[in-house]
Amino acid sequence: MKIDRRSFLSLGIGVAAGTALSPLPWKLTDDLSIWTQNWPWTPVPEIGETTYVNSVCTLCPGRCGISVRKVEDRGVKIEGMKGHPVNQGGICALGLSGLQLLYGPTRIKSPLKRVGKRGAGQWAKISWEQAIAEISEKLDGFRTGGNSHTVAGIAGSGQGTVSRLFSRFLTAYGTPNCFHMPSSADTYQLALQQMNGVSAAPVFDLENADFILSFGCGLLDGWGSPVRTIKANTGWKKANARVIQIEPRLSRTAAKADRWISIIPGTEAALALGVAHVLIKEMRYNKDFVDNYAHGFESYVTDRGEMKKGFRQTVLDGYSPETVARITGIDPSAIILLAREFAKAKAPLALCGKGQGRTPGSLSEAMAVHALNALVGSVNRKGGVCTLPIADIQGWPELTLDAEAAAGMNQPRLDGAAPKSPNCINQLASAILSGKGYPVNALFVLESNPRYTLADSKTVTEAFDKIPFVVSLSSFMDETACNADLVLPNHIYLERLEDVPTPVGFPRSVIGLSKPVFKPLFNTKHAGDTLILLAKELGGGVAESFPWDNFEACFGKAMGDKLKTLQNKGFWLDSEAAAPQWKDSFKTPSGKFEFTAASAAFSPVKIEGDAAAFPLLLIPYETMRLSCGYIADPPFLTKTVEDTILKHNDGFIEINPKTAQAGQLSEGDAVVLQTPVGQARVRAHLEEGILPGVVALPGGLGHTAYDGYIAGKGINVNQMIGPVQDPDSGLDAAWGIRAKLSKA
Amino acid sequence: MDSALIPNGVRRCSLDKFLVALIVVGAVLLWGVYAMLLCWFKGLNQTNMNDNYGFALWIWADLAVIALGGGAFFTGFLKYIIGKDELKNIINYAVLIGFICYSSALLILAIDIGQPLRGWFIFWHANVHSMLTEVAFCLSCYFMVLTIEYVPLILENRQVDKVPFFHHLSHNMHATMAVFAATGAFLSFFHQGSLGGVAGVLFGRPFAYREGLFIWPWTFFLFTWSAAAYGPCFTLLITRITEAVAGKKLVKDNVVELLAKISGWMMTSYIIAKIIDTVYWANVTAPSKGFTLMDFYSNNGFYGIWILVLEIVLGGVVPAAILITDKGRKSPVARTTAFVLAVIGVSVNRWVMVLQVMAVPVMTFDKWALYYPSWQEVATTLLPVAYGIILIMISYRYLPIFPQEAELNPVE
Amino acid sequence: MKQEHGDNGTQKYGMVIDLDLCTGCGSCMVACMAENNVPFREDETDKLKSITWMRVYKLTNGKPYPETDICYLPRPCQHCEGQHGHSPCVSVCPATATDYDTQTGIVSQIYTRCFGCRYCMGACPYHARYFNWYDPIWPEGMEKYLNPAVSPRMRGVVEKCSFCIHRYQAAKDKAHLDGQKEIEEDAYQTACTQACPAGAITFGDLNNPGHAVHELKKQPGAFRLLERLGTNPKVYYVSSREWVRRAGDNYLKTEGPKKAV
Ligand SMILES: Nc1nc2c(c(=O)[nH]1)N[C@H]1C(S)=C(S)[C@@H](COP(=O)(O)OP(=O)(O)OC[C@H]3O[C@@H](n4cnc5c(=O)[nH]c(N)nc54)[C@H](O)[C@@H]3O)O[C@H]1N2
Ligand SMILES: Nc1nc2c(c(=O)[nH]1)N[C@H]1C(S)=C(S)[C@@H](COP(=O)(O)OP(=O)(O)OC[C@H]3O[C@@H](n4cnc5c(=O)[nH]c(N)nc54)[C@H](O)[C@@H]3O)O[C@H]1N2
Ligand code: SF4
Ligand code: SF4
Ligand code: SF4
Ligand code: SF4
Ligand code: SF4
Ligand SMILES: [Mo]
Repeated sequence: MKIDRRSFLSLGIGVAAGTALSPLPWKLTDDLSIWTQNWPWTPVPEIGETTYVNSVCTLCPGRCGISVRKVEDRGVKIEGMKGHPVNQGGICALGLSGLQLLYGPTRIKSPLKRVGKRGAGQWAKISWEQAIAEISEKLDGFRTGGNSHTVAGIAGSGQGTVSRLFSRFLTAYGTPNCFHMPSSADTYQLALQQMNGVSAAPVFDLENADFILSFGCGLLDGWGSPVRTIKANTGWKKANARVIQIEPRLSRTAAKADRWISIIPGTEAALALGVAHVLIKEMRYNKDFVDNYAHGFESYVTDRGEMKKGFRQTVLDGYSPETVARITGIDPSAIILLAREFAKAKAPLALCGKGQGRTPGSLSEAMAVHALNALVGSVNRKGGVCTLPIADIQGWPELTLDAEAAAGMNQPRLDGAAPKSPNCINQLASAILSGKGYPVNALFVLESNPRYTLADSKTVTEAFDKIPFVVSLSSFMDETACNADLVLPNHIYLERLEDVPTPVGFPRSVIGLSKPVFKPLFNTKHAGDTLILLAKELGGGVAESFPWDNFEACFGKAMGDKLKTLQNKGFWLDSEAAAPQWKDSFKTPSGKFEFTAASAAFSPVKIEGDAAAFPLLLIPYETMRLSCGYIADPPFLTKTVEDTILKHNDGFIEINPKTAQAGQLSEGDAVVLQTPVGQARVRAHLEEGILPGVVALPGGLGHTAYDGYIAGKGINVNQMIGPVQDPDSGLDAAWGIRAKLSKA
Repeated sequence: MDSALIPNGVRRCSLDKFLVALIVVGAVLLWGVYAMLLCWFKGLNQTNMNDNYGFALWIWADLAVIALGGGAFFTGFLKYIIGKDELKNIINYAVLIGFICYSSALLILAIDIGQPLRGWFIFWHANVHSMLTEVAFCLSCYFMVLTIEYVPLILENRQVDKVPFFHHLSHNMHATMAVFAATGAFLSFFHQGSLGGVAGVLFGRPFAYREGLFIWPWTFFLFTWSAAAYGPCFTLLITRITEAVAGKKLVKDNVVELLAKISGWMMTSYIIAKIIDTVYWANVTAPSKGFTLMDFYSNNGFYGIWILVLEIVLGGVVPAAILITDKGRKSPVARTTAFVLAVIGVSVNRWVMVLQVMAVPVMTFDKWALYYPSWQEVATTLLPVAYGIILIMISYRYLPIFPQEAELNPVE
Repeated sequence: MKQEHGDNGTQKYGMVIDLDLCTGCGSCMVACMAENNVPFREDETDKLKSITWMRVYKLTNGKPYPETDICYLPRPCQHCEGQHGHSPCVSVCPATATDYDTQTGIVSQIYTRCFGCRYCMGACPYHARYFNWYDPIWPEGMEKYLNPAVSPRMRGVVEKCSFCIHRYQAAKDKAHLDGQKEIEEDAYQTACTQACPAGAITFGDLNNPGHAVHELKKQPGAFRLLERLGTNPKVYYVSSREWVRRAGDNYLKTEGPKKAV
């Protein structure tokens, strides 16, 4: 058949019409849209049986009870545990993101041995046997060579069974160089030692206070146990309690406080004394407490017969509102008003520890604040500052100190501090670099990330680079692990058994039970087991000090009769013991509360830098949306960070428009920030809520390790601020540093 | 070489010249197609749209192109329904431009939606309360009408016409064209209106929101009216440009002047209505939501009151004034200026009703949001322009678009 | 206040958020992301492309130092009722992919029907709606934590706060199995409400006198965002600060918000 133009066209039209009328195109259209509804690259979570497992969050010192929702063996959500004494069901944004850490890309999946240059990220996977063998061989070498003291250890937390195992290990091995990260609580503890005469943790009965005078505490920014403190704040609002926030920056805490009083940073102690001055002058202090239970208020005669000016006269002479106004920049009338309100309240409470209380801070400041509490009788009573004894572990056998260990323990500590005093980790880096004393041959790091969190990162990095053998027990590829020689990954908190002791500042003794909610995902090992294995391998007194088969056994012994309660309830809560009466409270030589000379003296912390070269003051600040400790922000948390703090990879420095104007800076300008210890490029963010002349950077940014969700974003504030040793405690008391900004 | 396809009695440029031009425009088209494919395969992250700018450059292009394409329905309405017979000399071109505008609009919509393969849900799961549903239905139907109006033109190609079937088909279609023109006009009144309604019903957006009649906000009527008024100007402008490119007159002045006059009077009445609407909105509607007129035109780096002046005075009052005067209409320069201003005026109106709506902060703690299109957006927006030029080039070369061409340009 | 929520037998779920208590901590934001499988990307600093069903805004009183004040305002979807259920967004969706449920007052979103025209986003004055500009990608292994009660969304569709509607469905099923007619107040609570450490968010049936929100919304100092637009939202805010209440809506110079007595 011949196909002419006409029949061809008819055929074409026929086929087209036929196809259009057939179900084919319709089916195809439908199928295509069904395909778009089920794109194979969009995950479909599997369904299954839902269960809840209670445990404890240890991503920060808050130690909240958590309830993990599981679908079969997958964890799908972490929630606050209802009825937990610490957080009462509440939970913070970091705690909620925990599963992103469990399943996240920064987990270390097996023991690793460095094969390339340090920090180059070249690793070989090794077996646990090999790792333990290699370490014990090294350790054995140092010990037999009489160099056990040249091994140092850093553990973030000073508490809990694992931490104590760690220090026990180092002691039995023979080194005095066991460090933990001190915080403002350590400073307050020293104040308590001198003024209350007890060695105990300071605890704050926030819930029963009705007037809170906060000297820069980030009460809503993660101070204390963060969820508990925020809940206390809600209680204050509902009970019409008043919160006065003293700090140079309009933080979230300042914004929600009943009054924000801006202050020249570093002069908080002077304000405390100014308030004390008014209380004394106007006879508004608690006469019962001061007259009957305190010593050193009035002039007194020492054992040597010297006449000493008491707290009263010193404060009256030196801290009139006018004098204090000149120091702090606060109006005298505001100081008088503040003092009167403080005195009038039923349960006034003064608090210190800047931001989250991560920096120990000035001891004399803590003492001045504590004296203020004493003046109004807010010590060891409802709504006041109380003390909580630190219990020792009872169930463990005496530690065996063999000859090698004893020799090592007799060596001076690297930080130069006395054996029992709080360790001055801020001195560690400079001690290593100074070359005086002895070198550090090996460093063990547990649950801390000193390369990132220690002040003056440059010096810390240089010092740590000099240590020939660094072992990290981290679960994550953090900055310290990246630069280690061996990594022995710990289970993360959701995979391990552990006791979690009383959160900082919490008024009742509580132990939380951290449970292995999940079977370990990777080839990791409980740090407790790692230590026990190492001890056994080392033999001698070390092995004898670690008689347990595994961590579980050691843990059971440590918990003793509390274990049952822990397993049943998920936490153990001490029965509420009434605070001791004032007459029984104080264990000072006088048997009374001691108004020490230091508590009446404002001795400003000498921060680094001279004012001519560095006209501005840089202060760090903390927020609930940035984790600035040993845990880096998981992706969810970073997502909540405002674009005025981080934009793409640029971090912002907060600056008052007045200060900006003087430097001809406008919003978003790229600037170079210089301090005596560092230099970095940032961008300017203009905020009215900051004292002119002061600039502020958040903690928690500027990571170089972890993953693409946090690394390379913003700058690490610790690299800009150096430590300043407190003359009284030796701890880091830096609240900031001098700085200058110039247009980039 | 292609002379057999070229209509009788007219002269066209050489095939080489034609092909070179085609390649140049074709390159732009290909660039646009590439951008389009990026958007389809990688998603709308290829654009600079964001959660504040759900509607952006494309939707403006869409609305503008439909307003400008309004020349087709309105000229059809004038010719077939009102009986302005002279307009038969420009109706073909009006239909072609309309066809280009509407097919472009549909293409843009297909790129603009996040799930193009589910686009048909708009019909299947139609929500009768949504202005966009109305738009989709009327737009698609009117596009079919335009196709039906355009097909007879294709059939008039010398070679196609030789097939008896097509010859008769063409003839019969011409005979029934009035019915389609009426349908088209009806559909157009609705979809032009519902496009106006799209912005006008947004009671969460005080800058866009207008009160109205029954379910239709005033913008509904203003959009239809403005499309009818300004669309013919665009037809005339494109005709003028085509004449300039071809280097010869294609439509007689009396035809142009007639359409321009009608357009001018439509524009005059429209702009009066628009001014009344603006005054009422500025003094009653917006203040009732807590806004003053200047809230919409200050505190940002781009939108000032100038844009309102540009739209209403320069793009409305001025061209209307030119076109309703004899002198203005008769002067080719003044007339063409008016066409250009009118096209700008209606485009600015559509811009404002899409982009400024998105830019104005509503919550007191919101900020003005400005946005710059990405190159992918620009390319996909130029794609229909290139496609339109190509379709015009081919249609002009091979189809008897302009009935008066042979008479105006006798071939010796 | 016109368009009060009448008592007509149906539920009207809503929230009362106490801005005096909210600390801006961000728990609600993250609780929502974790509960509802909200995706994330390496760079989330372009807030105009960052999906946060719950977003905490930072408001300032605009005064210079030291008179400056800040307030945090958590903004979930307001589940606007408009007039007779014609929410700004629901009435414009051409494909009926978002719906106002008259039984619960919840504005739902059907991801598989939405075809991504984004008209609803333009209609919502609260910026409560988010478009999936990108394919949601979880780093390898992280998809393990996805909640099976909420389907992850595909690229090209709009999503928003659902008042954790899957929790409502679960609570309803449970009530049915337990032979209960009504869902108890604490049987259906949203993830953000539960997580908030400050207890700033209260959630419940605005119609039910037994639910806390019923009374809380009548507090002096209670207001809704952009009430004057007629969106008729079901999220109430409370603040004792006048400037905050003023920031809740637009007012001409001569006008102002209700006084908190
Ligand atoms: N399981 C587990 N727990 C952790 C963490 C973890 O990763 N896992 N993280 C840890 C981290 S990083 C932080 S910030 C912490 C908080 O770790 P720390 O800051 O170490 O402990 P705090 O809870 O702040 O309580 C500190 C107070 O406890 C007292 N204290 C602690 N140890 C001793 C001691 O040996 N002797 C005496 N006399 N007093 C002591 C001091 O009074 C001190 O002020 O939470 C830690 N908790
Ligand atoms: N500048 C500054 N100083 C600080 C702090 C701060 O944030 N900034 N925080 C203060 C406080 S309160 C504390 S407690 C300390 C914090 O202790 P730091 O020594 O400053 O260390 P962190 O940053 O807390 O990091 C602890 C390390 O443990 C890792 N890690 C996390 N989970 C696990 C786990 O399960 N197992 C193991 N093996 N490793 C884990 C983390 O990745 C991290 O590298 O520092 C105190 N000093
Ligand atoms: S406050 Fe600390 S302990 Fe509590 S949930 Fe948050 S990160 Fe975990
Ligand atoms: S969780 Fe509560 S306190 Fe925190 S931002 Fe949200 S509403 Fe405010
Ligand atoms: S807040 Fe926006 S998305 Fe939610 S119901 Fe109202 S208009 Fe719709
Ligand atoms: S984007 Fe989806 S939900 Fe929104 S209007 Fe379009 S189809 Fe409806
Ligand atoms: S109600 Fe549920 S979906 Fe809405 S913001 Fe809260 S957690 Fe997210
Ligand atoms: Mo610590």
